[in-house]
Amino acid sequence: MALIETKDLTKIYELGWNKKVIGLNQVNLQIEEGEIFGILGPNGSGKTTCLKLLLGVLFPTSGEALIMGKGPLDVNMKKHVGFLPENPYYYDYLTGPELLKFYGRLFDLSPAEINNRTARLLEMVGLAGAKRLSLRHYSKGMLERIGLAASLINDPKILVLDEPTTGLDPIGCKETRDLLLQLNQQGKTILLSSHFLSEVERVCSRIAIFHRGNLIEQGTLKELIGQYQANTLEDLFVKSIEKFDQQHPA
Amino acid sequence: MKKSWIIALNTFHESLRKKTLYIVLVFGLVVIGASRLFSFLTAQEELKMIQDVSFSAIEFFGALIAIFGSLGAISSEIEKRTIYTLLSKPITRPHFVIGKFIGQKLILLINFVLLCLFFIGLLLFKKSMPNVEIFKALFLIYVELLLISSITLALATFTSDAFNIIFSFFLYIVGHLTSYGRQLLERTENIILKGLGDMLYTLVPNYENFAIRDKVVVGVPVSWQYVGKTTAYGIIYIVIAILIGIYFFQKREV
Ligand SMILES: Nc1ncnc2c1ncn2[C@@H]1O[C@H](COP(=O)(O)OP(=O)(O)O)[C@@H](O)[C@H]1O
Ligand SMILES: [Mg+2]
Repeated sequence: MALIETKDLTKIYELGWNKKVIGLNQVNLQIEEGEIFGILGPNGSGKTTCLKLLLGVLFPTSGEALIMGKGPLDVNMKKHVGFLPENPYYYDYLTGPELLKFYGRLFDLSPAEINNRTARLLEMVGLAGAKRLSLRHYSKGMLERIGLAASLINDPKILVLDEPTTGLDPIGCKETRDLLLQLNQQGKTILLSSHFLSEVERVCSRIAIFHRGNLIEQGTLKELIGQYQANTLEDLFVKSIEKFDQQHPA
Repeated sequence: MKKSWIIALNTFHESLRKKTLYIVLVFGLVVIGASRLFSFLTAQEELKMIQDVSFSAIEFFGALIAIFGSLGAISSEIEKRTIYTLLSKPITRPHFVIGKFIGQKLILLINFVLLCLFFIGLLLFKKSMPNVEIFKALFLIYVELLLISSITLALATFTSDAFNIIFSFFLYIVGHLTSYGRQLLERTENIILKGLGDMLYTLVPNYENFAIRDKVVVGVPVSWQYVGKTTAYGIIYIVIAILIGIYFFQKREV
C-alpha cells in the first residue's frame, strides 16, 4: 500500500448558486515510502487544493484522500505528518520558540523534548539568532523558515510542503533543498508542490504534472523526458501541457 | 480536552499581547470612575448612583468586550491562514471550537475581574462594604457576558464578521426587550402572532433575567434560588451555542 494515496480525488468549488470551478479532477496519486515526490504545475492547476484535501482542510466533492491508509480527519495519522502551507503565516504576537512550543504541545511532547527540538530546529533553519523577535516582524523568507521548523516539531514521517521555497532568496532556496535531501536521507517521505522547475528537478525522485485540476503525467523525470523526447524539464513541462490542451480544449 | 486547553491558552495569550480590548476596558473604568463625581448628592444617594452606573457600565462594556473579543476568534485564524497549520496537527475540529470558546471565556474573565475590582475599590473608598447581594448581581452579569460571547462565537463559525456583529448586537438589544415584547403580545388575539412571539421568546435568551441590579441598588434581596435558576438558564443557552458552533465548524471549509 502506498504511503500517500488519492483515489479519483475531485474538488469542485461552488461559488454562489450556479458558478462552479474545478479545483481538482479525478486525481490518482500513489506516493511510496522514502520518496521525494514533486507536484509540478502552473498557478491555479490544483496543487494547493490537492494538499489541502489530503490534510482535511478542504473536503472532497468525490473520491478519497489517504495518508498511511487513513482519511484526512484521522488524529493518529496526523501525529506522523508535518505540513507547511503556501505563504505560511503565524500568530503575530508570538516569537519563534513560542510558536514551536504551541505546536509541540499539541503533539503531547514533553516540555524538555519541546525545548530540545526547538533549539535544534531553529539552528537548522537558521533562525537561532531571532529567538526574541515576534513573528509579525518576520520577513517572508523567515516565515517560510519558521514554518518549516514548525512542520518538523513532531519529527514527522511524512512532510507535506506547499511551495516551500516561494519567498526565499537563492541561498535560502539552496539551503532548503539541501535540508530536504538530508531529511529524506533520514527516512522522511516528502510530498512537495512547486512551480519552480529547477527545484523539482534537483530534489524529486518522482513528479506529477498538474494542469487545470488534472494530473496529466506522473513518473520519474527520466521516464517522462524519454516519453516526450524532451531535452529539459522545462521542455517536458511545456510539451505535456500543450498536448493536454490540444486533447482537452477548454 | 487538553488540546482545547492548549488552543485556549494560545488564544488568551495572543489577545493579552494584542491589547485591542484594553481600549474598551479603559472606557469602562473611566465611566465607573466618573460615577463618583455625583458628590452633590447625599452620601446615600451617591452610593446608589455609583452602584447603578457601575453595574450598567460593567454590563455594557463587558458586552462590548464579549462581542468584539469573540468576533475575530475564528475569522482571524482563517484570514491569516494559521488555521491550515492548526488543522494539520492532531486535533479535531471540535477541539478547535471548544478551545476558542474557552480562550474567549478567559479573556472575558480577566477583563470582567478588572472592572469589578475597580468598582469594589470605589465602594470601599466610599467606606461602603460590598454585601453579598452585590456579588450576586456581578455574578449574574458575568453569566450573561459568557452567554453573549458564546453566541457571537457560535455565529462566527458560519457567518462573516459584518453579519455577526450586526446580529450579535441585535440579539443583545432584543434579548433585553423580550419581556416587554411578551407583555405586548399577551394583549393580541392573533394566534399566529402569538405563536411567533412565543417562539422568538424561547429562541432568544432573555438577558433581563440576569439583571437584578435594580433590586440590589435599592436593597431588595434576591434569593439564591433565583441566582441558581438563572445561572442554569444561562448555561443551557451556552451549551446550545457551543454545540451549534461545533456543528457548523465541522462542515466548514477554510
Ligand atoms: N477557495 C476557493 N474557492 C474557489 N476557487 C478556488 C478556491 N481555491 C482555489 N480555487 C480555484 O481552484 C483552482 C486550483 O487552485 P489551487 O489549488 O490554489 O492551484 P495552485 O496551488 O496549483 O496554484 C484555481 O482555478 C483556483 O482559482
Ligand atoms: Mg498553490
